[in-house]
Amino acid sequence: MSGHVPQRVRRSALSSQLGVLHALLVREMQQRFGRSRIGYVWLLAEPLMLGFGIAVLHWMTESHLPNNIPVFLFYALGYMPFYMFRSILTRNAGAILQSMQLLFHRNIKLHDLTMSRTMLEVVACMAVVALLVGGGIVFLDEWPAYPGLFVLSLLLSALLGHGFGTLLASLTTFYEPLERLIHPLTYLMMPFSGAFVMLSSVTPSAREALLYNPLVHVHEAMRYAQWGDRIVAYYDIPYTLLWVLILNVLAIASLRVARRHLTMSG
Amino acid sequence: MIELLDVWKGFESHKKGTWHTILRGVHGRIRRGDHVGILGRNGSGKSTLMRLLSGVEAPDRGVIRREMSISWPIGGGYGLQYNASGAANARFIARLYGTPVQQTQDFVEEFSELGKYYYEPVSTYSSGMVSRLLMGLSFAVDFDCYLVDEALSTGDARFADKCRHMLEIRRQNAAMILVSHNAMHVRQYCDTAAILRNGMLEFYEDVDEAIAAYQGL
Repeated sequence: MSGHVPQRVRRSALSSQLGVLHALLVREMQQRFGRSRIGYVWLLAEPLMLGFGIAVLHWMTESHLPNNIPVFLFYALGYMPFYMFRSILTRNAGAILQSMQLLFHRNIKLHDLTMSRTMLEVVACMAVVALLVGGGIVFLDEWPAYPGLFVLSLLLSALLGHGFGTLLASLTTFYEPLERLIHPLTYLMMPFSGAFVMLSSVTPSAREALLYNPLVHVHEAMRYAQWGDRIVAYYDIPYTLLWVLILNVLAIASLRVARRHLTMSG
Repeated sequence: MIELLDVWKGFESHKKGTWHTILRGVHGRIRRGDHVGILGRNGSGKSTLMRLLSGVEAPDRGVIRREMSISWPIGGGYGLQYNASGAANARFIARLYGTPVQQTQDFVEEFSELGKYYYEPVSTYSSGMVSRLLMGLSFAVDFDCYLVDEALSTGDARFADKCRHMLEIRRQNAAMILVSHNAMHVRQYCDTAAILRNGMLEFYEDVDEAIAAYQGL
């Protein structure tokens, strides 16, 4: 048996970092969807049910969106940046405490734990978005007006979720009960995220207040990217990028502090 | 080479405000090819020392210099994913450490002799099976130094022979640090030994001398 003892292949720093992420990504995939195929169905079901529910409400109250925008697609798609933000946030927040065992492998860094989870959520949510957009094209002949901005706004939403989620993950290592606050927090964020309300339909003072929230910019940008000039949108990409930067720098700094004080047992 | 210079480590007790110091100034040096046994009674800080050596945790004070690649602590189910199968764990280790995936999976399957259980979740394994899987997983990667934390103690004589054979193959440059409370295991696998007591490490050139001192404790 000595003939076929595996030997490590020499890898550059970058490719060994990618190897770590690949290993974690496959593991996450098995944990999240491996047990049953129904996991994929649920991922798709939530935005679809939401879009359907709101469409029914609109139909019953006989209200309409401007310029013949289809209600179902408008709400199902409009919800996606928040959906992605929230799932990245909640998955990341537990990333460290749920995978302490993995830290026995020294080449796994704390940030790898949250990065791999973010990547998986982004891929999964992007697939749902692609299905929604594809459905819109096939059944309603609705093409995204600005595809580049569309993808950018989704990515910004993911990066906001990643920074905030990673920050929370490292804070929970200092104070565990924090984990319990994350769910209520995400529910409270929902009405202020701009996922369901167009800024053009609220009073100027409310609009000004809402625009402090970077998630609002993301939703407005994505609606504009999909529907173009059929709606009026208010967003500021550099402002959102500033938030992305601040959250992620804070997250990385606090991970550095967290790593030193983490203990595996005792 | 691994070098420990005045390493201290303690933990805050669950009872608020008290502090347990486990390691109080550990010195030591392990070279390539060394097979060192570390003897210590239960609670003497063996596992803490393992975690520090492997780099999972940082010392409170002092320096640990690592100039070789060191395995994760092998024993106690460390670093395993219990809800995944043995095979899935092998593929995970292969991706993580950069060994060929299929070859690693085959090697671990042959080495650990788990039969059809290799494809069942690790959570269904007995402790002996977990140890065999762990030894297989760690031998699948060509580390410069293997940190063995009691994992060898659960296998039968034939499996122990297999592990020794594997260590011989890896021996050209592989060191091993075996932590145990059992003097017999240290005599079986090691060339030199040290005793961990009162939070400090005492090295002995001769294994029998170390064992005599350990049993005299």
